Amino acid sequence: MRDKLEKLGVHLPLLPTTAVGSFPKSRELKSARSKFFRGEVSAEELRVLEEKETREWIRIQEEIGLDVLVDGEMYRGDMATYFARNLDGFEISGLVRSYGNRYYRKPVIKGEIRWRGPITVEYWKFAQSLTRKPVKGMFTGPYTMMDWSFNEYYPSREDACMDLARALHEEAKALANAGAKIIQVDEPALSARPEELREFGVKAMKVLTRGIDAYFIVHICYGAFEFIYPEMLELPVDNFDLEMSNSDLDLVELFREHPFTKDLSFGVVDVHSHVVEDLETVMGRIERALEVLPPDRLWIDPDCGLKTRTKEEAIGKLRVLTEAASEIRRSMGETRS
Amino acid sequence: MELLTTSVGSYPRIGDSPEQQKLRRAYERWERGEIGDGEMEEIYREVTKEVIEEQIRAGLDQVTDGQVRWYDQFSHFARRFDGCEINGLLRLFDTNFYFRQPVVVSEVRWRVPVVKDEFLFAKEVSKVPVKPVITGPFTMAKHSIDRHYGNLECLVVDYARALSNEVRELEKAGALEIQVDEPSILRSPEEFEIFAEGVSELLEGRKEARIALYTYFGDAAPLFDRLLDLPVEVLGLDFTYSRRLPEVIVKAGCEKDLGLGLIDGRNTRLESRKEVLEVLWRILPAVESERVYLNPSCGLEYLPRDVAFQKLKNMVAIAEVARGEIR
Repeated sequence: MRDKLEKLGVHLPLLPTTAVGSFPKSRELKSARSKFFRGEVSAEELRVLEEKETREWIRIQEEIGLDVLVDGEMYRGDMATYFARNLDGFEISGLVRSYGNRYYRKPVIKGEIRWRGPITVEYWKFAQSLTRKPVKGMFTGPYTMMDWSFNEYYPSREDACMDLARALHEEAKALANAGAKIIQVDEPALSARPEELREFGVKAMKVLTRGIDAYFIVHICYGAFEFIYPEMLELPVDNFDLEMSNSDLDLVELFREHPFTKDLSFGVVDVHSHVVEDLETVMGRIERALEVLPPDRLWIDPDCGLKTRTKEEAIGKLRVLTEAASEIRRSMGETRS
Repeated sequence: MELLTTSVGSYPRIGDSPEQQKLRRAYERWERGEIGDGEMEEIYREVTKEVIEEQIRAGLDQVTDGQVRWYDQFSHFARRFDGCEINGLLRLFDTNFYFRQPVVVSEVRWRVPVVKDEFLFAKEVSKVPVKPVITGPFTMAKHSIDRHYGNLECLVVDYARALSNEVRELEKAGALEIQVDEPSILRSPEEFEIFAEGVSELLEGRKEARIALYTYFGDAAPLFDRLLDLPVEVLGLDFTYSRRLPEVIVKAGCEKDLGLGLIDGRNTRLESRKEVLEVLWRILPAVESERVYLNPSCGLEYLPRDVAFQKLKNMVAIAEVARGEIR
């Protein structure tokens, strides 16, 4: 898939390093966000803060030396309702418990889902204007949006998913037209009902990506890959970004049985743990990945978004994975950068 | 034939109005140590009473206590058993709900009643029959990390022995019907024999209470025949995962009471009378038992509180229409 990137004008070193999406928000931004939802802070005031922190995170990623950057999602609360609020056909539900004393709101599909205009494009443009390195365009995928929403309108899960795919196709197109070369579709729920991947998951991704000239990454987490592998390789994307560290890397064994045929963004640091892994551990994980994949198909990143970590932990984890990748590049005699 | 409406487990413990948020606020304060266990218990009781009243207001013939004090259906039991520790969060089936995973480190043993007092309180404040719910041994075992037995059957049997004390305590406390949740069997049909052994071990020594075994979050059609052989009085089925289930029931016939999960406990869409009655009229002629329940497909905590109430009201209205026809 490196050819595709080169054709798009994206030149990356071996073992490119990247982040998955979110970074922690400052206390100031968090409190401004809740005031905004109560009507006490204007959209403009909030935007100023979001841009300030986006700038800071782009600077941090450049300083650490990541190869492909993310905007850090300073403007998003969560993965589903943010997009639901910006698509036609959705309302937002009352509170539902997710665990312990934690509650959240879910999107409710009330009518036909339609794209009414760019959702992430302005933020992407802003982030990309701050750096010469490529910034990934990213949004939540159709299967996950469907699985995480109540559905009062469509007769089936498949119908809901397919209309979401059509709407999000427009978003992908808008990102590509704005200049995004790398587009990441987040599909954490993709393994929720394995049989649905065959029934319509792959079809939805085909509709989403059709005719768009970009390098597509799909990010899947919450494990259970064993139920959708190797079928998931049929998804029409270039790169799979998978959570690996948190499952003791048992996927490597899976790849030994059925060779992995695409590029892989390999999660080498656990985002649920406060502990920053040491260099040796991370290098060891990369070496394990290299047992089953050639170096020109491997990307290095954290398991998932880092928003639940402290800023220091997030930086520590990005730094160690970058160092580990460059150590390994060095040991392989890689000089290009 | 008698058609009754019932709850089958959890009920949303908070809602969107400030009065409905008291459990959430109290829990935060309890976690910070600002209020003690006694005060927390008072809140649990108030909220239990409210959710029972809400179910009765919706018109149900039988209610549950709403499980408002359960962290989740596994750790609620495991934390009181000997031999279990509690681990990190894991996703519950294909829901967006997370539970704390039990870790079995030594022999599982029952120590003290877990749900007896919850049931006694609920019974006292409810005008209609209350059905206590326990998690079945097979489902407990399938959601645990086993660091002791190294053998599923042994773990299931020991969970069953521990939980059989719950059944006995609930009977002594006056429970007329006890619900046993076994969703996991739908995902592991190849382990049916171990599952069935767990059920009979669980019910060893039970006396009068009717046992309602509920399955959900999966397709029961392939297992329906075998589920009919279990020594239980009521079989609960989730129709939202299976298009074939009505046909399978009609073909096999059924002498057990059925709990028909025709109301989707996972989606906010209100069912139409037509769609529910159609399935009901198809199934009922094949059922030879005296009683059938109409109920949600699973516990209701996957819905916002106001929608859960609407769902129950809608279900009761549909049941009333159906009863008119049955007569």
